[in-house]
Amino acid sequence: MTFHWHVVWDNLDRFAAGAVVTVELTVLTMALSIPGGLLLAFLRLSPFAAVRAAATAFVELFRSTPLILQIYWVYYVLPTFSEIQFPAFETAVIGLVCNISSYNSETFRAGIVSIRAGQWNAGLALGMSRAQVMARIVLPQAAMRVLPALATTWVSLFKDTSLVSVINVEDLSYQSLKIRTETFTILEVLTAMAAIYWLMGYPQAKLVDWIHRRYKAAE
Amino acid sequence: MDIDLTPLLLRLPFLAKALLMTIELSLFSMVVGLVVGIVVGVARTYGGRIADAILGFYVDTMRSVPLLVVLIWTVFAFPLVFGHAIGTLTAGVLGLGVHLGAYVAETIRAGLTSVRKGQMQAARALGMSRFEAIRKIILPQALVRMLPSLGSLLTFAIKDSAVASVIAVPELMRQSQVVAGQTYHFKEIYTAAMIAYFLLCYPVARGVDRIYRRVAHLGSS
Amino acid sequence: MSGVSRVGAEQAPILTFDKISKRYGSLQALSEVSFQINRGEVVCLIGPSGSGKSTLLRCANALEMLDGGRVTFEGTDVHAPGGDARRVRQRMGMVFQNFELFPHLTVLRNITIGPTTVLRLDPAAAEARARQLLLKVGLADKAAQHPAALSGGQQQRVAIARALAMEPALMLFDEPTSALDPETIGEVLSVMKALADEGMTMVVVTHEMDFAKRVADWIVVFDQGRLIEEGPPKQIFEAATVARTREFLSHLGWHGESIAEVSGADKGGLRQ
Repeated sequence: MTFHWHVVWDNLDRFAAGAVVTVELTVLTMALSIPGGLLLAFLRLSPFAAVRAAATAFVELFRSTPLILQIYWVYYVLPTFSEIQFPAFETAVIGLVCNISSYNSETFRAGIVSIRAGQWNAGLALGMSRAQVMARIVLPQAAMRVLPALATTWVSLFKDTSLVSVINVEDLSYQSLKIRTETFTILEVLTAMAAIYWLMGYPQAKLVDWIHRRYKAAE
Repeated sequence: MDIDLTPLLLRLPFLAKALLMTIELSLFSMVVGLVVGIVVGVARTYGGRIADAILGFYVDTMRSVPLLVVLIWTVFAFPLVFGHAIGTLTAGVLGLGVHLGAYVAETIRAGLTSVRKGQMQAARALGMSRFEAIRKIILPQALVRMLPSLGSLLTFAIKDSAVASVIAVPELMRQSQVVAGQTYHFKEIYTAAMIAYFLLCYPVARGVDRIYRRVAHLGSS
Repeated sequence: MSGVSRVGAEQAPILTFDKISKRYGSLQALSEVSFQINRGEVVCLIGPSGSGKSTLLRCANALEMLDGGRVTFEGTDVHAPGGDARRVRQRMGMVFQNFELFPHLTVLRNITIGPTTVLRLDPAAAEARARQLLLKVGLADKAAQHPAALSGGQQQRVAIARALAMEPALMLFDEPTSALDPETIGEVLSVMKALADEGMTMVVVTHEMDFAKRVADWIVVFDQGRLIEEGPPKQIFEAATVARTREFLSHLGWHGESIAEVSGADKGGLRQ
C-alpha cells in the first residue's frame, strides 16, 4: 500500500484557507452569540408570560434538534420567508448563531439566577434601579460564573463548524473532502484533516480545562 | 408561502423507517458510549498515572476533532486497518459511540471524584477489595449523581446521530435529504424532520429531570 | 404604653407604620402593626425569631410589598403606586445580616458605587467621602482589598460605611450582628453606638439585649407578627406590662433587674 503524502503538501494552501474559514466562523458566531444569548436570557426572565413563552420555545427548539438539520433548514426555509437567498456563509452563520445563542441563554440564565437575592436587595437598598443592579452588581458576578460553561461551548462550536461543509461553505472540512475527491487519496487527506483539527482544537480544550480550574464556582 | 404536504405524506412510511433507524442508532451509540465511557472513566480515576495520560489523550482528541471527521475516518480507515469493509450502520455506531464515550468518561470521572473519600474507606474497612468497593459502593452513588449529565448525553446521542447522514447511514436526516432532493419540497420535509427530532429529544430531557428528582436522595452521602 | 415623652417628639415623626399587614401564602407575617419613629431616635425591634421584625424593616424601604396598611416616610407614602420607591431608598440606609458586600468590587468601590451611580456624585468627591467613612469605622487601610479578605466584623463595618455614604436620613439595621463571631460583635456595636451618639435616626432589629437596653431610646416588642408592647428600655426590661414580653426576656436572662436597684414585690412573679 503506497501513501501519497505529497498530496497534502501540494495542497497545503487550500487546507490553510479552509482552516482560516473555520476560525472565522467560530469567532464570528461566538461574537454574535454572546449578545444573542444574553438577549434570549433576558427575554426568558421577562415579566410578560407571552415573551417568556416565545423565547423559551425558540431556545428549546434549537437545543432539541440537530445542528446539521438546523443548517439545512435555515438554508432552505429562510429564503421562503424573506425572499432573499443569503449566500452559504451567511446562512451558516445565522444557523450557528441561533443554535449557540440558545445554549448560551441557558448558561446566562443559570448564572444570573445563581446570584443570591441578598445582592439584589443590597443594590436596591442603595436606591439603584433594577437595571443598575443588573448591570453593575449581578451581571459582573454572573459573568465570572458562566465563563467555564462559555469556554466549553466555544470548543463545541469550533468542532461544529465542520457541519457547514454540507452546504458547501469552504471551511476546513469542505476543502479537505474536495481535495480527497479530486485526488482519490483518502487516508492521507483524512489524516491531514484530522491532524489540523487536532492541532487547533487540542490547545483550546486544554485552555478550557484551565479556565474550569481557575474559575470554579466558589459559592 | 404555499405549503404542500402531499409529498411528505406520500413518503411518510419511508421516513418513519428512517426515524426508527435514528432511534436505533442513538440507542446503540449510547450503549457503546456508556461502556467505553465507564471503562475509560474508571480507569482514569483509579488506574494510575500512565493510564490516565494515555486515556486522557483519547478523551482530549475526541474533544478536539469534529464528529464529522471521526465518522468519515471510521468508514475509510477501518477497512484499511482491519482488512475488510465496514457497514455504514456499524461505522456510524462505532464512530458515534467512541466519540460520545469520551464525554461519558469525563462525566464518570467527575462523578466518581465527587463521592466522598470516606465511602471508599468504609467499604475497604469492611474487607471489600478496591474493585468490589468501586462496583458496589462508589459507582452506584456516582451514577445517580451523574444522571442529569448522562441524560443530556442521550439527547446529544440523538442529535449527533444526524451527522451520520454524511456517511450515508439511512437515518432520518439522510432520508429527509433524499426525499427533499427528489420532490423539491425542502421546507415541508425539513420542517417535519425538525419536529420529529424535537419530539424525540424534548421529552427525553424532561423525563430525565423527572427521574432524577425521584432518585436524587440515593446519591447523597 | 408609657407616658414618657420620647426623643424627637416635638417634631412630626420621620417614619410611621400604620396598620401594616403582610402575608406569605397562608402565613400571616405581620398583623396590623402600627407605631412611629421620631427624628434622632434609636428604636430597637425585639422579639422571638419569626415574629415579623425583619419583614417589617423590609417593608419600610419597599423591598417587600404590603398586603394592608401604609408606611409614611418624611410625609410620603412609601408604597404609593407611581411613587418613587428609589427616592425613599436613597434617603434610607440599610445594613443586612449577611453584610451583602459586592464581592467583585474593592472595599472602596463598594462604598463609592452608591454615591456615583445613584446620587451622580463626582467620583473624586465620592472617593473622598468613602475614605473619610472608612476612617470613621476604623478600616482606612482596607480600601483596596476585596470583601473576601476581611473578617465578618470588618465586612459589616464596611457595609455600614456603604450605607452612610448615601447620607441617609435614617438607618435600618436588620440583625447586624447575628452572623458574626462573638469576638467581632463588639466592634460593630461600637460603631453603631457612635452613630447613635451623633444623633442618627436608627431602627435596629436585634437580639443583642445589652445593646438595646443601653443605646435604644425606644423599644418595640413583636410576637407572631403583632406588636405586643412598646416603651422606653427601662420599662420594657425592668417592668414590662405584657406577660409575653417578660416571658421572652426572661428566656434570654432578663428577669426585670436593673443595675441600680433590687426592689418591688414584682420580683417573685417575674421569675419562671
